[in-house]
Amino acid sequence: MPAFIVMLIVIAYPIYYTIDLSFYNTPPSLQLRDKNFIGLENYSIILSSEVFWRVTANTFIWTIASTIAAFVLGLGTALALNRDFIGRGVLRAIFIIPWVISAVAGSYIWKWIYHSDFGVIGAVLMQLGLVNRPPNFIDSVGTVLPSLIVVNVWREFPFAMIMLTAGLQTVPEQLLRAAKVDGANAWQRFWHVTFPHLQNVSTVTILLLAVANFNSFIIPWIMTGGGPSNASHIWITHIYELAFGRQRWGIAAAYSVLLFLILMVLGYFYVRALSGGERKEGGA
Amino acid sequence: MTSTTVPVPRRTKTIDGWRWTGRIFLAVMLFFTAMPMVWMLVTSIKSGFAAMQIPPQWWPKEPTLASYQKLLDPNNSVGQDFLRFFWNSLYVSTMTTILAVIVAVPAAYAFSRFDFPGRKPLFFAVLLRNMFPAVIFLVPLFILMRALGLVNTHGSLILTYLTFGLPLAIWLLKGFYDNIPHQLEQAARIDGATRFQAFFLIVMPLSAPGIIATAIYSFIGAWNEYIFAYTFLNRNDQLTLPIGVQRFFSENTTDFPGLMAASFMMSLPVVVLFLLLQRYFVRALTEGAVKH
Repeated sequence: MPAFIVMLIVIAYPIYYTIDLSFYNTPPSLQLRDKNFIGLENYSIILSSEVFWRVTANTFIWTIASTIAAFVLGLGTALALNRDFIGRGVLRAIFIIPWVISAVAGSYIWKWIYHSDFGVIGAVLMQLGLVNRPPNFIDSVGTVLPSLIVVNVWREFPFAMIMLTAGLQTVPEQLLRAAKVDGANAWQRFWHVTFPHLQNVSTVTILLLAVANFNSFIIPWIMTGGGPSNASHIWITHIYELAFGRQRWGIAAAYSVLLFLILMVLGYFYVRALSGGERKEGGA
Repeated sequence: MTSTTVPVPRRTKTIDGWRWTGRIFLAVMLFFTAMPMVWMLVTSIKSGFAAMQIPPQWWPKEPTLASYQKLLDPNNSVGQDFLRFFWNSLYVSTMTTILAVIVAVPAAYAFSRFDFPGRKPLFFAVLLRNMFPAVIFLVPLFILMRALGLVNTHGSLILTYLTFGLPLAIWLLKGFYDNIPHQLEQAARIDGATRFQAFFLIVMPLSAPGIIATAIYSFIGAWNEYIFAYTFLNRNDQLTLPIGVQRFFSENTTDFPGLMAASFMMSLPVVVLFLLLQRYFVRALTEGAVKH
């Protein structure tokens, strides 16, 4: 399979290359003949910098909050749309659109909604008399991260909805009916019948969301570029800026290696969740 | 089921309670989901002046398609640029899609029907592709593309999108082939068809939904891709839409109707494609994760 060899090269070589590069001090021009070996210095620079901890905290807030919110809203819409009613298909299609359109378009739309002079949310809050002047949603350190998380959740909950809708179809109808006859209320039916059947798909969905959120780039990059004062920088945008913005290739590579290690941990859980699902399927 | 008559009143009551909770939740979600898109459309038909009124005009007093006309007019420079970006995006996405289907169809078929080492690597490749952010690959790939002389060409993007998209495409398609009974092909073989004929006449038509799903997935992925295009392309006449629109409006940040019209135009093809073919798309996407 030549395709595989190519793929292996395309994936494995960059990883090797990145690890290698992380031990060097590289010139901005990326002329690699001029690089010199500095051992672990890049790593010590990173770990001793204040920005690193700031960005790490942002990344964890961003990943965890986005993942939980997208999952909960996805589960809610999947459950609410699981009953047959007129307009269900239309509603489902509308819900999926934010996930289909480009994150770039989504970012522009929300940037306009959040605009500190002409933004529509600010205008509504003013008209309701809740604020005296429009809030600076994405221009102030305190609100920028939550504001971006809202945009991210808007874009991602449809994915959770699709996955969980598919999961709901595996819940045996007879079991729900039997529970109903036995007098179980809607909440009991959900908790004791539906939820256990959703466990596999939920685990996979949460992990996929977590990995995707951890690797987000477009929304923070286009909406704020990581600002103001790094308040919305997450790992990926920070690495990108270090590499292509400031030409600190070695440091960016060291960051990537650390990122790689974190992803390996997430990946371990991901593989375990997936193989757990397969084992159960094999047994059924 | 004779006993069902007794608890009916009580049960409908509880269900109604939940039904209303569900309805209210759906209404809130509809507002949250659709409001940004509606506001994009409303803004895109305002004049630049009307867009900057406080309080905002909920519906423009004088709706105008001027922003769209400007973007689509090949006789002014804005329209020239925009149409070129649009064309570039269309070219890159279509080429990626065609090549992905050509490569993925036989590969997925082979994975589904022949037992050979490589199943595990494919699974692993899909995982890797999902796991690692593009940023890790950017510097090495940038250097590679520079060495190959592909920087600033659409070839660099098509090649990149293919290598990153193929594992998932093969994986999606393999699921469809797995669901087509082997006996169908065997019957055709017994009737004298070659393996090739059996594939083309029996398997291909049956797996059409899978092929469509793979194609949409590739197209939407390539159409929306940002970070590689942002890094590999520099020349103004080569840019794809997401990058082009960004360059364009970073110089002219006050033209919000224009920006919203461009966002709409950028979203339109994938939304139309998706709405037409969503059945296949959603099925393919979930089949791998949820086993029926």
